[in-house]
Amino acid sequence: MPVAEEVKSSWADEVELEGGSLPPPTEVYENGFKIVTEYAYNEDDKKMKIVRTYKIEKRVVSKSIAFRKTWKKFGECANDKPGPNPATTIVAEDVYMQYITSKEEDNKQEDDALEKLKALGDKNVVKCRTCSGDHWTSKCPWKDTMLAGGKVPDDKKGPAVPSGSDAGKAGGSKYIPPSLRDGAVRKSDNLNMARRDDATAIRITNLSESTTETDLEDLVKPFGPIQKLYLAKDKQAGYCKGFAYIHFKFKNDAAKAISMLNGHGYDHLILTVDWSKPHPN
Amino acid sequence: MKPLLLHGHERAITQIKYNREGDLLFSSSKDNKPNVWYSLNGERLGTFNGHQGAVWCIDVDWTTTRFLSGAGDNTLKVWDCETGKEIGNISTNSSVRTCLFSYSGNMAVYTTDKALKHNCEIFIIDVRNVDESISHADPILRIPIKGSRVSSILWDNLDETIITGHENGDLIKWDLKSGKEISSTREHEHLINDMQWNKDGTMFVTASKDHTAKLFDAADLMLLKTYKTERPVNSAAISPIFEHVVVGGGQDAMDVTTTSARVGKFDSRFFHMVFEEEFGRVKGHFGPINSVAFHPDGKSYSSGGEDGYVRVHNFDSSYFEYNFDY
Repeated sequence: MPVAEEVKSSWADEVELEGGSLPPPTEVYENGFKIVTEYAYNEDDKKMKIVRTYKIEKRVVSKSIAFRKTWKKFGECANDKPGPNPATTIVAEDVYMQYITSKEEDNKQEDDALEKLKALGDKNVVKCRTCSGDHWTSKCPWKDTMLAGGKVPDDKKGPAVPSGSDAGKAGGSKYIPPSLRDGAVRKSDNLNMARRDDATAIRITNLSESTTETDLEDLVKPFGPIQKLYLAKDKQAGYCKGFAYIHFKFKNDAAKAISMLNGHGYDHLILTVDWSKPHPN
Repeated sequence: MKPLLLHGHERAITQIKYNREGDLLFSSSKDNKPNVWYSLNGERLGTFNGHQGAVWCIDVDWTTTRFLSGAGDNTLKVWDCETGKEIGNISTNSSVRTCLFSYSGNMAVYTTDKALKHNCEIFIIDVRNVDESISHADPILRIPIKGSRVSSILWDNLDETIITGHENGDLIKWDLKSGKEISSTREHEHLINDMQWNKDGTMFVTASKDHTAKLFDAADLMLLKTYKTERPVNSAAISPIFEHVVVGGGQDAMDVTTTSARVGKFDSRFFHMVFEEEFGRVKGHFGPINSVAFHPDGKSYSSGGEDGYVRVHNFDSSYFEYNFDY
């Protein structure tokens, strides 16, 4: 693909242009990507900037195919630039091939969704918004006596109203996530939640571009067990963006790491390490 | 997979075809300009401007130098692939419904519709040197069809015979030396929309309005397999690398608004060629699929629909890893 000249414009030019027409579209080629920037007006007459990023791939193909690649465009698209024209070539949304394992399963899919709901038992399906009873709102016996926003006195409430603490036990009308239901291993879950708290998280900044997750792990492992490690990376190129978050299991370890690593020289840079959130003290 | 959506047509796609190497994808639609695209990135190479009516059929020769298109404006045109210039034009008595280069590329066949007191006819023409004179040149062979019209066609047996699919579901094999019928079979009950070869040219798959696609042995037109769906089938293709058949269809365009409101009948359906069992579906079109084609390398396939879009799908790795359980 022929490479267009790089167009560079300073912000001052752009400001000047803003008075009247739209800035000219630009095409920039950098490290394997073609970035096309266009400007247009949207429905509200506001300026829009459209940025399209193309990945440029090189492929080895047979001579005849390579030759055909050099053909000039003709007909309607004789004036198109090299590369796909966004007006005619669109990248569609992701679709997946749905695999069908057997005929029986195929038929099952066709079943009505309502049937499935019914099979779950009618207890949980229908719930009155007025009295929380076991019926549709429109069929509520208190429908006429109730004003909008009014509340049913407790003694008149429908029989299917589980109250307070036994809500979970009855599997009543309110949704309870499986982890909080009776019988779930609640203790460990709660502990986990506490550990995921940001109180044990530290932020490391001023990391060099070449840092990888393994490097980082080696760096912080000596201070104690780690729960989670996140290294910010550039989406396309994959190099480190210069900062990372580490969730320790214990707060003491995190504090130790901060005191040791802050100001520590690492890979020609001096690290800055602190709590990920401002410390309460 | 992220399909490429090719939106170069204003009306329903009638046919799509890859060239031999698969780097170019040709498409025709009921608007009057066939398009050609690079299949890899979906870039449009050009449009063939000159027809006055719906383009029903297209074909490209073995070397990708010439392109054939037949249209509802009663013409068959031969184009130069590289420049998009028209190099030959043949006027017919009625619209051209099918056209195809022979295997050698020396001959081409086209058939005309039964209309305005003109019978359906098969024409074999010489296309070795195409210039203006082709419009006056006599065809090598001309076979008038008495019965139901030809709706699809294939060259067979190294250009010695052709196989035609008819509106009433007949399949007929013709000898080109004598111009006589060799054999015929009637396995379909309705119009045969499309026929496509497998890779080595020993079997072909037909797509019919009678809701089935069928696999035939080319030598004796023996029915081998049947792929059943619940909608008219407009096109079917055989994978060059797996024993898979992709089937595209949907109800007739005129029935879309009056029948089932459910979406999801417009998907490409993948059948196992031997076990006749559907194993996968790909959604995407908003109307019936009119034409499907496998890339010659088997790693992608395209479909063109009544919605005017051509969708180029590159298979995910899951497709290549998929094993049919039996």
